[in-house]
This record gives sequence, structure tokens and C-alpha cells, in this order.
Amino acid sequence: MSGPPVTSPAEAAPAAGRRRRVAARTRVDFWFDLVLLLGFTVAYSYGFTGIAIHEWLGLGLGLALLLHLTLHWDWVIRTTRRLVSPRGHDKVIWLVNLALLFAMTLCVLSGILISRVALPYLGIYPLGGPFWERMHALSAEVTLGLVPVHVALRWRWILRVGRRLLAWRPAGRSR
Amino acid sequence: MRFLRHLAAVVVLVAVVVLAGLAWNHFAGGGLPGEAQATGKRSIAPGRGPGIVVLQPGAKAGPGGPHGPVVVHPGPMNLGLSSMLDPVNLAVLRHTVVIEAVVIALVVMIDVSRRLWRQERRAREVTGRAPARRR
Repeated sequence: MSGPPVTSPAEAAPAAGRRRRVAARTRVDFWFDLVLLLGFTVAYSYGFTGIAIHEWLGLGLGLALLLHLTLHWDWVIRTTRRLVSPRGHDKVIWLVNLALLFAMTLCVLSGILISRVALPYLGIYPLGGPFWERMHALSAEVTLGLVPVHVALRWRWILRVGRRLLAWRPAGRSR
Repeated sequence: MRFLRHLAAVVVLVAVVVLAGLAWNHFAGGGLPGEAQATGKRSIAPGRGPGIVVLQPGAKAGPGGPHGPVVVHPGPMNLGLSSMLDPVNLAVLRHTVVIEAVVIALVVMIDVSRRLWRQERRAREVTGRAPARRR
């Protein structure tokens, strides 16, 4: 969500290769983030998925979270450095993202520690306990509240990229 | 190389959060709201074979945490795809989607009104300054 803008100065550069590269990265960000959102929505709906899919999807989301953060690490550094200079919108996004990092990490961690299907299938038998069960429920609820906020704070970027990616283009015509 | 460097930084950050969670459990264990109701007195019996969750003597099969007291038997894994395809369970997914959609709509509305208000304020400032410049 916090990836490079669609039309950055770099993109405006005449070098076609550079332009293609930025567009490809934007495309990856858009589709990957969409898959993450859908994955989280399905994983949260435990009654819909059943325990096995819930757990495997949760583990996958944990790995995807690492990848998502890695892809946007530049943004994390840039915004953290700029935190001292007052710019309200970025500060809000930064705080939401930090809270989401805590909530999602604790959710995946507690999910691993109370796993009843996925980890036992791999030969690991975690001894969870009531603390981790409660932590899993709490952090999942907090994550459910924060994920849509995280998405919505980037609605202009999503709209801009979505329009470009999903726009119907007649065959044979270039952009 | 750059990707790996960033990945290492992310892993360190996530490890810090994980350690914070483990420390929370260690130092303030039992400090979460509603934890008393969440306990189902479950334990994994040592030497009982993999994946079997048993209830301790005297313990009722109550709510047992967020997912209920699920007893998992060893053997071939059942992904539970039949329950996923059951239209009855679609209500759960719909509920999640509705919550997300409502929150997204709220945040977008707040953001749009904030932007409109700022634009209006800027426009007012510009029109306020214009006569002063003429003087």
C-alpha cells in the first residue's frame, strides 16, 4: 500500500526501460496487496474456512507479511526519518502501520503457539495456553479493525493504480 | 542484495515484536481481558500420540478459546473444504467483508471531507490575500 507512486519523477524520465520497471513494481505491489487483503479476509472468517485452511493460510500470511514489509522497507525508513517534520497524514499512516505490525505479528505468533492442525502435521506440538488463545482472538480483532484503515488510507493510490491496471485497452493499442 | 538487507531488517523488527509478546506472557501472564473465560483446561497429553488434545478430568468441553475445544486426531489431514463450500458458512465471510467495507468507507469519507475542507480553507486564504496584493 505504501509503495512508490504510479507517476513518480523517475517514471516521467524518458528512459523506457526505467518506466517499464517502475510500472512492473507498482503492478506487483497492487496485486500482492490485493491477495494479502483477500487472504486475511478469508483467514479471519474462521467459521467459513475451517481450522486447517485457517491455520495454513495464517502461516502463509505471516510469510507474506514479511515480504510485504520488505518490499516497503524504503517507505518505512523514509517516513520514520521524516517523523520529526510535521505532516499529519504520513504520521497517521505510520502509526496505523506500526500498530498493524504489532497486531499481525502477535496474531500470527499466538496462532502458531495454539496451532492444532498445521504445526502438529509438521511434527511440532506447541503448548499454547489460555494467554495465547486470548491473545490470538484479541490481536485478530485489532487486526480486522486496522487492515481496512491501512487500505483506506491509500485509497487514492489504489484508485489510481486500479484504474490503470483494470482499464480496458483495445488490442494493439499502446498506453 | 538490497532485498536481503531489507529482509534481514524486517526479520529483526518482527523478532523484537515476537520477543515483546513472549515477555508479555512471561511477566504479565494472565493479564489479558477475558482470559479466564477463554480457558478450557485443555492440555496435550504427553505420550498420547501426535495431535490429540484431551480434556483434563473434571473439565467441561466449554467454549475453550477462540476456536472452541477442537479435538484433532492424527492421520491424513482434512482441509475441511466441504465446510468452506457450504453456503451456510458464507455468512461468516460476508460478516468480515461487511466490517472491512464499513471501516474503509468511513476512513475514505473522513479523508475526502478533510481534503475538501483544506481545499476550501486554501481557497479562502487566496481570495483573502488577493485584495491585499492589489493595494
